[in-house]
Amino acid sequence: MTALTMGGNAPLPGDDFVVSVRWKLKSPAIEEIDVSAFVLTASGKVASDDDMIFYGQRADKTGAVRMTETNRSALGGTNEASFEFDLRRLPSAAEKIAITGTINDAQTKRVSFTDVASLVVSVMRAGGTAVTFDVPVTGMTEAALILGELYKRNGQWKFRAVGQGYNGGLKPLAEGFGVKIDDAPPPSNTSTPTPPPVPPAPPPPSAAPVSLSKVTLTKAQPKISLAKKGTSFGEIKINLNWNKRTKSGGGVLGGLFGGGSKGVDLDLGCLFELKDGSKGVVQALGNVFGNFDHAPFIRLLSDDRTGASTDGEWMRINGSRWNDIRRIMIYTFIYDGVANWTETDGVVTVYVPDNAPIEVKLDEGDPSRRNCAIVLLENVSGEISVKREVQYFTDTQKLDRHYDWGLRWVSGTK
Amino acid sequence: MPVSLSKGGNVSLTKEAPGLKNLLVGLGWKPRTTDGAAFDLDVSVFIVGENSKVRKDEDFVFYNNKLGDNGAVEHKGDNRTGEGEGDDEAVAIDLSRVSADVKRLIFAVTIHEADSRGQNFGQVGDAYIRSLNSDGNAEIARYDLSEDYSTETALVFGEVYRNGEEWKMKAVGQGYAGGLAALAKDFGVNLA
Repeated sequence: MTALTMGGNAPLPGDDFVVSVRWKLKSPAIEEIDVSAFVLTASGKVASDDDMIFYGQRADKTGAVRMTETNRSALGGTNEASFEFDLRRLPSAAEKIAITGTINDAQTKRVSFTDVASLVVSVMRAGGTAVTFDVPVTGMTEAALILGELYKRNGQWKFRAVGQGYNGGLKPLAEGFGVKIDDAPPPSNTSTPTPPPVPPAPPPPSAAPVSLSKVTLTKAQPKISLAKKGTSFGEIKINLNWNKRTKSGGGVLGGLFGGGSKGVDLDLGCLFELKDGSKGVVQALGNVFGNFDHAPFIRLLSDDRTGASTDGEWMRINGSRWNDIRRIMIYTFIYDGVANWTETDGVVTVYVPDNAPIEVKLDEGDPSRRNCAIVLLENVSGEISVKREVQYFTDTQKLDRHYDWGLRWVSGTK
Repeated sequence: MPVSLSKGGNVSLTKEAPGLKNLLVGLGWKPRTTDGAAFDLDVSVFIVGENSKVRKDEDFVFYNNKLGDNGAVEHKGDNRTGEGEGDDEAVAIDLSRVSADVKRLIFAVTIHEADSRGQNFGQVGDAYIRSLNSDGNAEIARYDLSEDYSTETALVFGEVYRNGEEWKMKAVGQGYAGGLAALAKDFGVNLA
């Protein structure tokens, strides 16, 4: 095994191997590190935006680079992201592959790689580790790092320990590799200066810019349309997760929050309306868990009563039946406990296959209102339009009325 | 035919440049595109006598002393970032004008403030040092610093030396700890 220091290089073990990036966090301000790979030509740029492999695009077109694993663990544990490589599949123009790590939201949180406890890149093949690079993170001001690069030299692929990057995060990094970044607001074309001399290869036709955000819908940017992929979206998953802040034993701490020893119970639910006009609700209250294979093609999986379950509550929507669905309003409500939204740290994440996860944070809550309409999924010409609502209501009935859903309501209990 | 030397290549290159009179030593690298201190590489020449020491401090030709041996050795200027095409720094030597008591000219490349900036050649993009026979511009020898000297911060590139009436070039490719100051001291330069 070769242990490299910054700047060092070593031959790669054959054409297929795994590059694994492992890290430990020490600052709670860092939520996660996103690891990406860029397939580059001799000019050091991507040939097209398809050559950026990251959480929103887990393989390149050839399958030469596949993101295989992303394990995230709690503070102090080891996190891992890994890529499988088959260099034989690479297009001949590919000369270099950069492996990068970026700290999400680093600038607002004023963190950089010096706030990471450890960061190690390993090249592994059946039989063991071939090359490692323990990134010297201490003192690093960068929020985005080129951890290492795989590169071709005299016909042989090698690995270089780089450890250089950008204080500004993933955006300058990706732009350095020639990836167009979707940035709001888009620059006006009228003031564009004369473009520099164009290389002989024409740019790919109207390639959409790569969006780096794990699209967080905010008040400023409340809506996103997910481009249609054929007629099916696979399985659309919605996750609700929140923090249990109280100790289950009650006492002073328990009494502060959650109305006693139980903690707060946040529930995930939805109103649906199908193309055939049928309407209804899917939620744990009243035991209306829905059905995945038959109407309403929505299924609520579990009821996490305390927030202690590590991944919260899940709802699945059968994307292959998206054409039967007109609209779905995802909401959460505080079934039990004090309606203090900001303290729940609630996050609802919408996962659509092949698209970046869409995150909505429940951090603007009104304590007197126990119900929050989060996102509206609408079928717009077969596409899924995701619109951030985050509107708070005293009960689901008021929510229903606000959106003209038109259900009849009776009170219930779990 | 240019000879590209890998690490440790210590090769006599007489065949490569018969009748060598005008020599150019060029140094090139890519400017840093990432954030952080610029990569500032420097080429230097030590003009030494029989005892392998400089005759006087002016025989140390570098960014602060651009002419040596009455102009026989000329440093073309200091580039601090690697900006620009081709060789970013160069030293031109007119061997026909070199004083009789000079036996060897030794060429070195160093990274400015490598230690405090935590830099080595491997972090620098496409860094190389090469020598050319200025009469015809044939490349005599080249080292790829980024690749083959990745963990070094200073390198004795090579030397031209008298062999009877002729000058010959030898590529050395020897990494050197301690940077330019240590090199200069070893060649007998009195540093401030």
